[in-house]
Amino acid sequence: MVVSRSGSGVFSPLALAGILLGTFVALFPSRARGADTEAALIAWGHTIAMQGNGLPGNTACAECHRINGGGMPSVGIPRIAGQTETYIYREIRGVQEGTRYSPYMDGIVQNLSRHDIRAVALYYSTVRTPKLPDPASYDPALRELGRRIAHRGLWDRNIPACILCHGQDGRGIPPNFPYIAGQSTTYLMGQLISFAVVRRKDDPEGLMRGIASKLTHREIKAVAQYFASLDPPVYGKISEKNRPDRLRLIPEKEIPTP
Amino acid sequence: MTARSLILLILLATGLLLDPRPTGATGNQNFQFFAPPAEGTLPNGPLGRLIRQGELIFIHTGQYAPRYVGNDLTCESCHLDRGIKPYSAPLWGAYGTYPRYRSKNHQVNTLEERIQGCFRFSLNGTPPPVGSKTMKALIAYSFWVSRGAPVGLYLKGQGIVRMSKPARPPDPLRGKAIFEARCSLCHGLDGQGTQSDNDQVAFPPVWGPHSYTKGAGFYKVSKLAGFVKMNMPLSKGETLSDQQAWDVAAYVDSQPRPEDPRKAKGGKS
Repeated sequence: MVVSRSGSGVFSPLALAGILLGTFVALFPSRARGADTEAALIAWGHTIAMQGNGLPGNTACAECHRINGGGMPSVGIPRIAGQTETYIYREIRGVQEGTRYSPYMDGIVQNLSRHDIRAVALYYSTVRTPKLPDPASYDPALRELGRRIAHRGLWDRNIPACILCHGQDGRGIPPNFPYIAGQSTTYLMGQLISFAVVRRKDDPEGLMRGIASKLTHREIKAVAQYFASLDPPVYGKISEKNRPDRLRLIPEKEIPTP
Repeated sequence: MTARSLILLILLATGLLLDPRPTGATGNQNFQFFAPPAEGTLPNGPLGRLIRQGELIFIHTGQYAPRYVGNDLTCESCHLDRGIKPYSAPLWGAYGTYPRYRSKNHQVNTLEERIQGCFRFSLNGTPPPVGSKTMKALIAYSFWVSRGAPVGLYLKGQGIVRMSKPARPPDPLRGKAIFEARCSLCHGLDGQGTQSDNDQVAFPPVWGPHSYTKGAGFYKVSKLAGFVKMNMPLSKGETLSDQQAWDVAAYVDSQPRPEDPRKAKGGKS
């Protein structure tokens, strides 16, 4: 707790102002500090990832996403390591606003400021971590179907190939389209179903809601296990051409460009 | 006249009255369209290899036919799903309709000549000669995906939808707002497209030095509007109104792009 150093009465206006200011500085140190260097931002992001930002409800991201952001394939907690800053930022904001359904994360992220989110997103975008084993069952009978949906789509139902937007081998087209290669089957299936029943609605243009709602359960399983079987990209790099200021960012254009 | 033939006649008549304008059709009625041969039925041997080569050129044109391509587009940029998707000028809708008289050059063109036009005007490149491996492969691939399609008949889903005149004249300014809201996610606010993480073209540029020329079919606002209406945003065809499709096409075609190679002086012939 911050203690006022003012010598006058405890409830004098000046002391009260001091307390308020002190509390503000203690709670939002980086804001008071002004513009951060990238290193300082990453350091703050690392702190949030490992311990939370200290505000009620905010626990360490690493509790579920694990220390190096590899996630928990067994229960469908996604890999976030190496996903782009822009994407992680967008998704945390989505959970805060309820456009991305996540009963676990919902409470945890409410007390993150936009600055905190930017820090933690930047931090995880720089983390490298190997793929973790996925204990989900793999159905060899669905191998070809999964491959086909990924590479060709099912255009007779207006379902484009996944790789058109998620990049060759699901490596993502940063910053707007995340990598999906190496995510767990459980996570990918969960998200497709979530899009299909419109619990997750943070997808630009409703692209994923449209596509997922046209997939059968069998197709969802097939395509999820296909991308789960691939290796994630080491580094979610944003190519020079895809500078965020050139592309419309979803859901809001508010990431300060350095 | 028997009752049976009467029913048949009524069925025929309703069939003729229905359609021909597809706008309003839902995405899941594609059983009405011509279906190319199933995957995995490609013949073995030289023909099969040539067809496969044509398919690869079709998808990765700059990579498999580099000497004929002058920009960032591929065949598939306009002919979606490897030239199969209805209303994005599918190959099976074109194959059986050539030779054809074209007002564009006041001549009867063969399919080869038509494909050469794609390279010259849309890919801003050099037309592959009729006897070249590239042309043979593309013809073989076109033949394959058209196997079983009638020759000389109009097929539903062929070509690009013909848009009826919009209520208000197409307006690039309104189009700009639509483009920025609904297209820039992939094509960029500046229309220059998006790259994949290994620096290949992911979403094509829709204007500027690496896009189609002023001689391309899509430089006609009505054609581009028809394509956009049925296919854009990808997988969300028919979600823009006709007016929006016209406006956004007017905007895209109002932007700078390479000159028509027939008019360009000192440029590529």
